[in-house]
Amino acid sequence: MNPDHHSSLNPSSSLKSRFTKTFLRSLIKINKQRPFPYCPREIFQRCHRVKTAADKSLARAAGSRRVWSRAMLCKIRNRSLRRGCQQRPSVRRIIIGYQTTKKGYCLQKKMSDDQEVGTDQASKLRKLVPGGEAMDLCSLLDEAAHYIKCLNTQVQVMRRIADIHSS
Amino acid sequence: MHPCSREMQGINYVLNPSSQIPLQDLQNQQHQQIQNSPFDPSSSSNDDFLDQMLSSLPSSSWADLKSPWDLNPPTSLNIPINNSSAKPREDETPPSMPENVGFHNFDESVILAAKLRQHQISGGPSPAVAAAAKAMLQQQLMMATRGGGLPQNDVVDGSSFKSPTRGDGSVQALYNNGFGAGSMHGTGQASNQSQQHFHHPQEGSLQAQNFSTPGAGAGMAMNQPQASGSTGGAPAQPRQRVRARRGQATDPHSIAERLRRERIAERMKALQELVPNGNKTDKASMLDEIIDYVKFLQLQVKVLSMSRLGGAAAVAPLVADMSSEGRGGAGGGGDCIQATANGGSLPRTNSNSTQTPSSNDTLTVTEHQVARLMEEDMGSAMQYLQGKGLCLMPISLATAISTTTSHSRNPVLNSNHHSLLHSNGEGPSSPSMSVLTVQSATMGNGRGDASVKDAASVSKP
Repeated sequence: MNPDHHSSLNPSSSLKSRFTKTFLRSLIKINKQRPFPYCPREIFQRCHRVKTAADKSLARAAGSRRVWSRAMLCKIRNRSLRRGCQQRPSVRRIIIGYQTTKKGYCLQKKMSDDQEVGTDQASKLRKLVPGGEAMDLCSLLDEAAHYIKCLNTQVQVMRRIADIHSS
Repeated sequence: MHPCSREMQGINYVLNPSSQIPLQDLQNQQHQQIQNSPFDPSSSSNDDFLDQMLSSLPSSSWADLKSPWDLNPPTSLNIPINNSSAKPREDETPPSMPENVGFHNFDESVILAAKLRQHQISGGPSPAVAAAAKAMLQQQLMMATRGGGLPQNDVVDGSSFKSPTRGDGSVQALYNNGFGAGSMHGTGQASNQSQQHFHHPQEGSLQAQNFSTPGAGAGMAMNQPQASGSTGGAPAQPRQRVRARRGQATDPHSIAERLRRERIAERMKALQELVPNGNKTDKASMLDEIIDYVKFLQLQVKVLSMSRLGGAAAVAPLVADMSSEGRGGAGGGGDCIQATANGGSLPRTNSNSTQTPSSNDTLTVTEHQVARLMEEDMGSAMQYLQGKGLCLMPISLATAISTTTSHSRNPVLNSNHHSLLHSNGEGPSSPSMSVLTVQSATMGNGRGDASVKDAASVSKP
């Protein structure tokens, strides 16, 4: 039996270690890219880049078995595609097509479900959890639980890194 | 009595696989019992059977057990000895002698336990275990229905399933049901019990399958009919049929509804453990907690990514919620953000004094602007502040930061609510965190709003 079937495909490493490795690598890359920015705009850009790197490495560490990690990776990829030049329109079309079909099917299912729990709360949760728009309440709660677990690890690791960096 | 205690021992043996009851001891005890038992006429032959069985154990493979189960198990399974020994004994002893039958079943249970133990030692694959255990179970069931030794067998089935599967709760239910069924064994309802036995191992096998594929919520559905009392004369069909509780509809819609609700309930329970302050009984308030916690965690990630830059000048605005829960969450978040700010900021070589009165005019303008924006939409207010290099935070946090970071400075916040302190720390030589403190603009303007909803403080350490 696999006790941590949720966390890792590779049984030897844990979510935390995978996330840390990927995140540190991306941090090093970010630090190498530009000199220390002074104007607030560059600072903001850099913050955003760091945050994106953190999210991306978390989603990668969580594995593609989870809806939220897939959705987050798609979102990041779409954002970078949108911002950058349109080199690969075919890829974008494929990604968007996947999202819309999934959304279309699942939205129909959502409307047929009776609304037992507060719908505004459910919609709030859907907005918070990436990829939560196209899920029924049951799997939404499941994804939310896993997402919270991963966020916790992410925060722990980032805090440790920040402490080490500052000391 | 004697076989029952033996049985309990066997069950304990299965339940605690890590216990140090070696196989040899059990076998020895069994030998003794065999010799002492007055019921067993062929004790010597039993020894031979046992020896053969034990010798065949190390060489037994699960593949043999997994071979398709048919009604003649002696030919296909690896323990023909046991079966052949069982048959004559069953013919000899009438079903009205439960002890002997119990003892016979104990034999099988010991063998099963031994096999499982051996398998655990050898570390076989888990689905194989489940499938093999299922095969063993069904075989035992057939023996039971043929011999009529019902209650103990049922108990053994329940207990034997404990080792390969991980789900203790539902297996425990199966186990308890076994005892419950066993309590009615003397009433001569052989057929009814056999039907129940068909039902139990079937559910047990379902459980085994479901535990090998974790997360299958449908598996829990099968526990329902097991838990529900049979409404008398339920059909014994090996197919998966959901039995209805007393007085509840059996139409598929309500059943599906019930399943869905139960699934949601168990997910909420799992979430309850993750979220702090998760002791709310109400589903709606629990959802609120969950939402706040997710927001809080995302905010933390944002702030941490900012602070990693060595204390940037522009810190992400903290969300100061209107509700008290938001206040609590933000307060909790505020503490750790304060910690990261303290940790993230570089050593403060320069002790800057806050520039209070000089830039008051610009600050009041900012204040008004922020107040206006806050009334419309918090997001835009935050962005506005961020553009200026300021952020919003609760008063408690601001006091905490100012008292801890300022060494010999006067307290940033006066009791007078109209004070506004602002310093833009954007000098390259002092990359420190600057926080904007804006008292509630409504109060600042004297509109008489008693409740201080938000407060943000600016302080430069």
